[in-house]
Amino acid sequence: MTSPITNTPPTACPRCRSGPIGILGKSPVAGVWTIFGCSTCLYAWRSSEPEENVNPDKYPAAFRLRPEDLPNLAVVPPVRPRRSTS
Amino acid sequence: MRAYKDLREFLSVLDEERQILRIHDQVFPEPDMAAAACALTRIEESPAIYFDKIAGFDSARVAMNVHGSWSNHALALGMEKDAPMRDQFFEFVRRFQLYPGALERVASAPWQETVVEKNINLYEMLPLFRLNRGDGGYFIDKACTISRDPDDWNNDDVENVGIYRLQVKGPNRLGIQTVPQHDIAIHMAHAEERGEDLPVALALGNEPIITLMGATPLLYTQLEYKMAAAMQGAPYKVVKTAKGLDVPWGAEYVLEGRVLCGQREAEGPFGEFPGYYSGCHKYPVIEIDRISHRKDPIYDAVYVGRPWTELDFLQAMTTSAPIFLQLKETFPEVIAVNALYTHGLVVIVSTKIRYGGFAKYVGLRLLTTTHGLGYAKVVIVVDEDVDPFDLNQVMWAISVKVNPAGDIVTIPNLSENLLDPACSPGGVVTKMIIDATTPVAPDRRGDYGEELDKPEHTDQWQTKLQALVKEMRK
Repeated sequence: MTSPITNTPPTACPRCRSGPIGILGKSPVAGVWTIFGCSTCLYAWRSSEPEENVNPDKYPAAFRLRPEDLPNLAVVPPVRPRRSTS
Repeated sequence: MRAYKDLREFLSVLDEERQILRIHDQVFPEPDMAAAACALTRIEESPAIYFDKIAGFDSARVAMNVHGSWSNHALALGMEKDAPMRDQFFEFVRRFQLYPGALERVASAPWQETVVEKNINLYEMLPLFRLNRGDGGYFIDKACTISRDPDDWNNDDVENVGIYRLQVKGPNRLGIQTVPQHDIAIHMAHAEERGEDLPVALALGNEPIITLMGATPLLYTQLEYKMAAAMQGAPYKVVKTAKGLDVPWGAEYVLEGRVLCGQREAEGPFGEFPGYYSGCHKYPVIEIDRISHRKDPIYDAVYVGRPWTELDFLQAMTTSAPIFLQLKETFPEVIAVNALYTHGLVVIVSTKIRYGGFAKYVGLRLLTTTHGLGYAKVVIVVDEDVDPFDLNQVMWAISVKVNPAGDIVTIPNLSENLLDPACSPGGVVTKMIIDATTPVAPDRRGDYGEELDKPEHTDQWQTKLQALVKEMRK
């Protein structure tokens, strides 16, 4: 069920297969899990999760993202224009 | 009525009523927590669940499914735990009309005991866990988000308490989902037009009433705390943050921060209330500046999966009551509204009939209520003697009182919540009214003779037998 505990970030994001990957948090009880985050698609995962959430090769196809699609995500709500000061 | 001072007091009542399971074995954040909560949805009158040994945390405590059965919902309202759904509806409606109750401001609260302003790390401080495998991260999904209108800062009545999904995206960074119908969307728009960040407070682990109120579509000028006071029959106790936001006295954790002006960032997907993932969008971002919490705080979360789950209880009477009251204002003949199904995508309304064809107007008016504009997609109208909360009765009415030739009305291309997967295109759907009432003059269709009635003294027998059955099963 769980992946090996590691403090070394993986090289690719399970979801968008990009990166860089950073360490977002570590278990308060040392050595139980590490939480990683992808700075491209903002996916986060814990080292102790089922493999489909941590392993790029096992990540479900339905939930994958392509980095090139990220700029096209709908902006909700649209950013409001500043009120004029005059 | 009963005013629980905090989540802890309510959990102890659930203990007394044998409506909470306390799991002391070690569990992993994934997949154990969501799996246990999902499993509970398959158990009748499912209890709440409480974990206090979560792998990797030294003292985390998590409660789930706190509102997750009609028994727990009744207890939250201070009613007998076996109160029928219909009684819970009418009691909810009765109290709803007592608005406003009073706000009670006090100087300090237990959640102020521990304050962290440096090196905030939500991943380490909160027992977060993934709910559904395709979720883009860890979500806080049962917190009250509190905000004020920057254009009307000191007006308590436009302060807002709402429950929005919050994706944890960094050690002190969250994404927030709001839709234009939400009151906080107005606050965020005003702040952005002013070029300012919007201060927010997130209260986690609350007594059960404010959570229900945060899920209720109140008017913009109605304050959830004043409705909570009306619902619990006592003033609602709050404490002001340094920024001036009122926070429930009983909260377990309080996160204070700002919605960042003009920023949008990838958020999602998240398994949402229709039973589907929501997809990814660019949503606003919150930066957290301070976390306060009680000693040994309890983290409260709601599992969201294919309905029914705890979420459906949070959106049940809280959706039905406002629709009912708006409808009754136009048509006093309306008896009750059941909007329990997937946040009211399907709504059943029972009504007296003024004259032939009247039921269809009731259905049309329901579509134009505030909630109807974005949800009610299928409206079933039944006669006054059909209990809309008893699906056996509703299905009987549809079975014998509907002739599709004259009883089905469809209206194409109406607005709808984006999260309804049936929309085409997104945000637009065809809506339907099913008139399952008996045709009356001048609508003389069908061949309706005398309906079967119940034998004399049936009601007295029911009271007597119910007491005997209860005694037998003790």
